[in-house]
Amino acid sequence: MERAAKKGGHLKGMLGAFLVLGILATACPGSQAQGATERGANAAELPAVAKECGEAKLADTPLPNSAQALQQRKKLKILAIGASSASVVGPLREGSSPLLEQILEHTIKGLDVEIIDRGFSGELAAAAATRLKIEVALNHPDIVLWQVGTNDALAQVPVEQFQEAVGDMVRWLKEHNIDVILVGLHYMKRLVRDPHYQAIRTSLRSIAAKENVPRITRYEAMEIISRAMREPGRPVPSEFGLTEAGYNCMAQYVARAIAVGLYAKPPKTAPPPVR
Amino acid sequence: MPRQANAVDFWRGFALVSIFVNHIPGIYYERLTHRNFSISDSAELFVFLAGWSLGYLVGSRDEPIGTGRLVARLGSRSLQIYAAQILISSIALALLAASAYLLENPLILEWHNASAVFQDPALAHIGLVLLTHQLGYFDILPLYVVLMLAAPGIAVIDRFAKPLLVPLSLSLYFASLTVPFTAPTWPVPGQWFFNPFTWQAIFVLGFSLSRNEGLGAFVRCHIRTIRIISLPVVLFAAAIVVFSWMPDPTKLPEPKLLFLNGKSFLTPMRLIQFLALAAVFSATYPLIARALPWLCPFLSILGRNSLYVFCVGSLLSLTGQLIRYLYSGSFAVDTIIFVVGIGLLWLTAWTSEWRERQKRADI
Repeated sequence: MERAAKKGGHLKGMLGAFLVLGILATACPGSQAQGATERGANAAELPAVAKECGEAKLADTPLPNSAQALQQRKKLKILAIGASSASVVGPLREGSSPLLEQILEHTIKGLDVEIIDRGFSGELAAAAATRLKIEVALNHPDIVLWQVGTNDALAQVPVEQFQEAVGDMVRWLKEHNIDVILVGLHYMKRLVRDPHYQAIRTSLRSIAAKENVPRITRYEAMEIISRAMREPGRPVPSEFGLTEAGYNCMAQYVARAIAVGLYAKPPKTAPPPVR
Repeated sequence: MPRQANAVDFWRGFALVSIFVNHIPGIYYERLTHRNFSISDSAELFVFLAGWSLGYLVGSRDEPIGTGRLVARLGSRSLQIYAAQILISSIALALLAASAYLLENPLILEWHNASAVFQDPALAHIGLVLLTHQLGYFDILPLYVVLMLAAPGIAVIDRFAKPLLVPLSLSLYFASLTVPFTAPTWPVPGQWFFNPFTWQAIFVLGFSLSRNEGLGAFVRCHIRTIRIISLPVVLFAAAIVVFSWMPDPTKLPEPKLLFLNGKSFLTPMRLIQFLALAAVFSATYPLIARALPWLCPFLSILGRNSLYVFCVGSLLSLTGQLIRYLYSGSFAVDTIIFVVGIGLLWLTAWTSEWRERQKRADI
C-alpha cells in the first residue's frame, strides 16, 4: 500500500511538473524550450516543445486544408480519434480546455480551436477507420488527429491488414480535403525487441512518408525521455510514470506539428519513394 | 425443470457465442461470425431478444399480473443487470491492472477505455457507478440497464395503450437520429457506444413482436409474405458487406444518420436489415434442429442463462485478448481460446441450472 501510495505521489508530482514545464515552455519560448523556427513573412511564433519532452524531429509537412480554414474562418476543427484522446490533446479536466487547444489559441492570435473528442482507448485501426468516416461526415473536421498502431501491435493484428486499414483511410481523408496527423506508437523498453511491435511501427512510418502526412514520433520522443531519466543521479523511472509523462509532451508535439503544418510551404516536387 | 430448447433461447445462445468471439479482435474465428455477411451483428440480435424476453416477464394477456407487481419484477431485474455490470467492470479492471503489472506493460492500462480509471480514479469511479463511464466491450449491459429501467413504462403502455407503443418508440428513434442526440459519457467526454434513444427501438420491436396481439399477431399472420420480401434485402445487404458497396457517408443527404451505417445510432439501414434477417432466419430453426440435433440444446442452455453467460463471456473475451497478446495470435492459440471459452460458457450455464435444481431439491 505504502509502495503504491509512494508511486502515486511520484506520478502525480512528475505529471504536475511536466504540465507546468509544458505551459511555461509555450508561454516563454526560448527559455527552457527549443527555439521557434522562422518560416518567412507569414510565420507565427511556433509553439515550442519543453526540453523535458525530448528532441524528436518533426518534418514541416504542410496542412493545406487547415491553412485554408485558418485564412477563411480563423477556426480549426480538430477531430481526435483512435486511442484515448487525453494522451494527445492533454489531460482532460473539468472546466478547462485541453492543453492542445490552449497552446494553439495562445500561439495563433484570434484562432478558435474546437476539439471534437472521439478517442476511445484500445480501439484498433480498422474499427477506428469505419467510425472515422461517419464522424467526418457528421462533424466536418479540418484536421484528423489519429492515434494509431499501439493497440494493433498488442492485439497481434497482421502488418498487411494494419497497413491496408490505415493507408486506405489516410487516402480517403486526403481525397475529402481533410488533413491528417498520425500519432505513432508508444515507447516501452520491453517492446524494443518485439518484432511485431517494431514491424507495425515501421509500417506506420512508411505510410506517413508515402502519403506525405505528418507523423508525431511519439516513440522516439518517449525513448529520449526514458534515456534522460535513466541518467546517473536521477531516480529510475517507473514504466507506468513514463507513459503518463508523455501525455503533456504529446500535446506540445501535436501543437507544434499543427502550427508548422499551417505555415509550411507545400512541396514543389513529390516526396521521394519509401524504401 | 428448465424449459425445453426453443428458437428464442437458441438464437440468444447464438448471439452470446458470437459476442464472445467478436470481442476478441483479430481471433481467427472472428471471420466466421455473421457480421461478415450482414450489416447488423450480434448486438442487434442480443437486444432484440432481450426485448422479446421482456414479454416473458410481463406475462400474457390471459394471465395478467398486477401493475405494482409487474413494476417491482422489472425493477428488480434491472437492478440485477446493474449489479452484474458493476461486478464485471470491476473484475475487468483488475484483470487489466494485474496483466499490466505482471507483464510490466502499462500500455495494457489504456485498453478498452480503462485509462481514465487509473489516471483519474476519483471521477472515473463515480462515472462507473453512474454508468457514464463504460469500458470498451463492456458497454452493452449499461444499455440493457436503461432499457430495463424503461421496461415498466413500456409494459404499462402495452397494457393500457397498446397501439401507441411502437409509434412512440419510433418517434423517439427518429428524433434522436435527426436532431441528433445521444447519452453523454463522463468524466471522459464522449458518447455512449450504444445510444439508448435509438437502441430502445429494437428492444421495443422485440417486445411487441413477442406478443400474441397487435404487431406480433400481424407479423405471424403474414410471415410468409414478410419472408419473401425480406430475402432480397438480406441478400443485397450481404453483397454490400462482402463487396464493400457501402456509400460514402459524406455524399449522403442530410440528416446523414438516416442514411449511413452507424452501429452507435442503430441507423435505419441496420435496423431494417436486422428485421429482414430475423424474418428469414426464424424459419431455419426447425431445419437446424433436425440437421444438428446436438446444437439446439447446447445453444439453448446458454440462451436460458443469458445474463450469467454474457458476464462470464465478457471476461473470457478480455482474457482471450490478453492471452493472444502474451502468446502472439496463431491458429493454434486462437483455437484453444475458442474451444476453452465456449466450454466455459457452457459450464457457466450448466452450473446455474444445477444450482437451481439443488435449491429446489433442498426445498
